Amino acid sequence: MLTFIEMEFLKLKRSKIFLLSLMGAILPPLLMFIAVTAFGEGNTFELLFTNVNMYTSAMFSVLIFAIIISYLFGREYNEHTLKTMLTIPVSRSKFLVSKYVMFLVWIVILTVVTSFSTLVFGLIAGLEGFSLMLFIDSFARLLYANVLLFLTFSPFVFISLFITNMVPAMVGGAGLALVNLMVYGQNWAPFVPWVCPYLIASGEIAKYSTSVSVAYGVILATFLIGMIISYMYFTKKDITL
Amino acid sequence: MVDYVIKTNQLSKTYSKNKVVDSVNMHVERGKIYGLLGKNGAGKTTTMCMLLNLTYPSSGEIFLFGKNPKKHSDELYSKIGSIIETPGFYENLTAYENLKIISKIRGDFDPYTINSVLKMVNLDQHGSKQFKDFSLGMKQRLGIAAAIMHSPELLILDEPINGLDPFGIKEIRDLLKRLSREFGITILISSHILSEIENIADVIGFMDDGVLIEEISKEDLHDRLNKFVEFEVSDIDLALNIFKVLELKENEDFTVSGSTIYLYTHLSLRDKFNALFVNAGIDVGKVNLCEENLEEFFTRFVSNN
Repeated sequence: MLTFIEMEFLKLKRSKIFLLSLMGAILPPLLMFIAVTAFGEGNTFELLFTNVNMYTSAMFSVLIFAIIISYLFGREYNEHTLKTMLTIPVSRSKFLVSKYVMFLVWIVILTVVTSFSTLVFGLIAGLEGFSLMLFIDSFARLLYANVLLFLTFSPFVFISLFITNMVPAMVGGAGLALVNLMVYGQNWAPFVPWVCPYLIASGEIAKYSTSVSVAYGVILATFLIGMIISYMYFTKKDITL
Repeated sequence: MVDYVIKTNQLSKTYSKNKVVDSVNMHVERGKIYGLLGKNGAGKTTTMCMLLNLTYPSSGEIFLFGKNPKKHSDELYSKIGSIIETPGFYENLTAYENLKIISKIRGDFDPYTINSVLKMVNLDQHGSKQFKDFSLGMKQRLGIAAAIMHSPELLILDEPINGLDPFGIKEIRDLLKRLSREFGITILISSHILSEIENIADVIGFMDDGVLIEEISKEDLHDRLNKFVEFEVSDIDLALNIFKVLELKENEDFTVSGSTIYLYTHLSLRDKFNALFVNAGIDVGKVNLCEENLEEFFTRFVSNN
């Protein structure tokens, strides 16, 4: 598996999408930095971390993750490399799992970039109340939210295998980000898989009447359904040249 | 007992109600070059995809190296190198990087092997060039490099000389012949360039409308090619009268086109016919003993079947 991940990184060499995703990871901290400096919205590190985590995991991550997963799977079709990879030979299930693991690794990198860039922007803005514990806590919450969000993206694997160009994933990701905005604060928000991760990681789930285990259940069910249909589709379908 | 590296039994593939490969029984002998010949849409690529497990058969069986690939997938496919249609590689990477990915995943990465195989296909001078900037010929050559890099026992090559210039075609032809003769690699190659198949293959499989019509060895093929004598004469009517007197029948024993007669029977008497023409005062501009080429044979063969 390590070799697969190493090779996935090699595949990203000179790739613009990796750089773009890093820029995307910096965008929420940058926007919050602008809000703080230009509009005076809060002057503490705690508020900055909270806001960045919220906008990242509830909005930006949804869009960026959709693009990343679509790229990871779709490029193998679009660049006709799938037939090369599978005839090495690589089993279809191993291929599917290694791609999904690479997606997780990519997410962890983006989380690190978001957290550290938030810290840097906070220092530039001269915010008060920084502590190492606060930073670690904020990073852990964002990482947890993003990992849970990662689980909810298995249906996007199927979409990427079914429609191999990136447009449906981008539209889907943008649509989900909007859905998240709309349902946030609604009673039934914990039933929406792509909002749950933020609600659980931030602790806001406690404000809802739905128990946290239901939210975990929604995430797990989404993950399993997405993986099962992706596996069934990918292992049964002929490879298009 | 003949050692078949590829053997299929009633192999078929149906898309909706369209049967694109129909009960193919293919026999590829170890160490031979097997040319799969057919028009576009004949089912060559689908057959190869089924052999490589990229496409699942609707029915029938495949045996590779005498074993069922469903049960021995890793063992069998690691002995195979392939190109299906245009080779697919990562566009942002160089030739070396692309081959590195393949060999790392296969578990046999060796920089020296990659460099030598790139040299073998004349891609060693393009170190920093990314795949997206490759010409079609370069892409094909990289595909061949990837296919032979792990010293496979079987090569399955679908139109590998597509996009190559005449020099490139000759290079690849020589390389494939060398791989077969020196290393005993079995090669299944498809091409729409009939002369190339004729040049390279030991056995030719004729495919049309999803059906493998026949597998013919090169020796048998030579015996089955139509032969004829071409007479170019100054007085066609007089020449035809002579044939009429000799009770030769048009469209049966010979055909006529302009001032040329194509004689298909009694070929050994061509010098006698020539003498008769000359004695009758006919100038004979050309007397050629000709053999049908593969293209003509293929056209006749497919239309007859």
